[in-house]
Amino acid sequence: MIEVKHLVKSFKDGERITTVLKGIDLTVADGEFIAIMGRSGAGKSTLMYQMSLLDEPTEGDVVVDGCSTREMSTEAETRMRLTMFGYVFQDYALLPDLTALENVVLPLLMQGQSVREAEVVAREALTEVGLERRFANLPSQLSGGEQQRAGIARAIAHGPSVLFADEPTANLDRESSDTIMTLFKELHGAGQTTIMVTHEEEYARVAERIIMLDEGRIISDEPVRDIGVP
Amino acid sequence: MFSPTNIRVGFYLASRQIARASLWTTGLIVFVMLLTFLNLVVVTGILVGLIEGINEDYRTEYTGDLILSALPSKDYIENTSAVASFLRTLPEVTMLDLRYQAGGTVEANYLSRTSDTEKANATGAQIVGIDPVAENAFTGLGSHIIDGAYLAPGDYDQILIGNLLLAQYAFGEQPGLSPLTNVYPGSKVRITIGDITREMTVKGVVKSKVGQLATSIFMPAGELRTLAGRTDQNVAQIAVRLTPGSDPDAFQKLLLDSGIGEKAKVQTFEQSIPNGVADIKNTFAMLGNGFSSIGLVVAGITIFIVIFINAITRRKFIGILKGIGVAGAAIEISYIFQSLFYALIGSGIGLVVLYGFLVPAVAAHPIDFPFSDGILVAPALDTFVRILLLVGATVVAGYLPARMIVRKNTLDSILGRN
Repeated sequence: MIEVKHLVKSFKDGERITTVLKGIDLTVADGEFIAIMGRSGAGKSTLMYQMSLLDEPTEGDVVVDGCSTREMSTEAETRMRLTMFGYVFQDYALLPDLTALENVVLPLLMQGQSVREAEVVAREALTEVGLERRFANLPSQLSGGEQQRAGIARAIAHGPSVLFADEPTANLDRESSDTIMTLFKELHGAGQTTIMVTHEEEYARVAERIIMLDEGRIISDEPVRDIGVP
Repeated sequence: MFSPTNIRVGFYLASRQIARASLWTTGLIVFVMLLTFLNLVVVTGILVGLIEGINEDYRTEYTGDLILSALPSKDYIENTSAVASFLRTLPEVTMLDLRYQAGGTVEANYLSRTSDTEKANATGAQIVGIDPVAENAFTGLGSHIIDGAYLAPGDYDQILIGNLLLAQYAFGEQPGLSPLTNVYPGSKVRITIGDITREMTVKGVVKSKVGQLATSIFMPAGELRTLAGRTDQNVAQIAVRLTPGSDPDAFQKLLLDSGIGEKAKVQTFEQSIPNGVADIKNTFAMLGNGFSSIGLVVAGITIFIVIFINAITRRKFIGILKGIGVAGAAIEISYIFQSLFYALIGSGIGLVVLYGFLVPAVAAHPIDFPFSDGILVAPALDTFVRILLLVGATVVAGYLPARMIVRKNTLDSILGRN
């Protein structure tokens, strides 16, 4: 479970201070699939970065499974990201020098698995996202949709507690986007806690709860059926 | 930082980056490392080799591995025959060369000089009495004849003259040395030792970079003994050649322990070389190290720039690596491995070029310096130390920029923010 407690995030640009998140309180239960929506500049990506420990809030706290991250060391945060979180980035963020398989293997190696063990797990993850014939391909040899599926395989291979996805379909065509969202739906069906940032309402409907942000504040936090989305 | 997991992940990343890097880029960096390695080893090696060439010339052309000479208070080695006999009994000794010596003058224009006020075409010289066959076998003196012919055992009134005693071969005007003019093989000269003067014919000219040979006059030992009025058999020098691999220092100690030091001054070939040469050697080694250090700094800066550009262009991916939980130390180690790769491959190729080509080539065709035949000195231990220096400098130069980039905020790196 992730609890966000009065989260404030400000950016300083010379004398000017811009507050992007203005006191967010939010709880994500285990197994939930949450979509964070809002117009550009609403603070949705910034909120996800704080929740996923990629950035440090100016004020407030993010509590992961009862553990405050406010005073956590950089090393402990890295460890937590490695073991508990999975990330799917908007631009896939695969390492260009590594094949699809090696991209998935890397975080598993970091967890202490041997190369052989990690490759077995990575193959399973890539097969799960339909890339069983693309193990040896470099990212440049994959389509956008395939790269994103490889990114998802990397994010889920180690069985993270929470899967974070930042606009995972933003750079994809319709068909690839549908495939990706189907994957998320399946993962959620298997009990995967997922927090997804999107500006596409159609894909937000795949989640079971939608949080709307505007000007750094939550303006609505409703289950999908309650906001009239089929 | 250097946990097994970090090292494993660092190696995994580095090996893949190297394997998939542009061959040209990798080749260029390795080439820079190769040049740096050669700069480190060869510059010092040539400078030291220049002086080492003097040592080698001394050893092969003059002193052998060890030389016994008259004590300062004597003109000859007392009881030479006993000393030589003793030396011949020692298993380390392969060859001896006995030489008589006397100071004298040589004059060339004594026949054409019309008055006592006319300047004499004369110079002082060390006159050496040799057994032509034994000397040639020991030092190869015959191969140093550049004009005329070498002495034969029965030659009478014939001499060889060192090139620096002749104006046409000397390096211009030198203080204290007034070389003879218009003297060639076949020329008559007058040799004076003490009160005895004798006319002799120049049979050949000896050219050598060993000063003692280039400023000496050689004649058969019997001739010198007659000229010097010597009736004894005591020589001024005994040059000793040892079996290959024998240690001259150990042999010197053996001789001194046996009491030969009371009859002769016993020196290894290195000790017999004038002190200044050793000083020059040290100075050149220092200069070589100075030049090498500059090369090392240049190599360090090159690697720093290469890794910095590599890391800065991969900043986003470094951010992603950190984002997905790869420790910063593992990423830094991956760059250390890359630097190591460049340095080791460069040094490895450098070793092949050095010992497979340069050292044998320079040994076969020494560099022709005016005062020595320069060789390339590259002892294995020194080379190993220089490889360590290169690898150390490269690793530091690779690590620092990687650390600078890895330490940047993870999210800023991912998003490309400054």
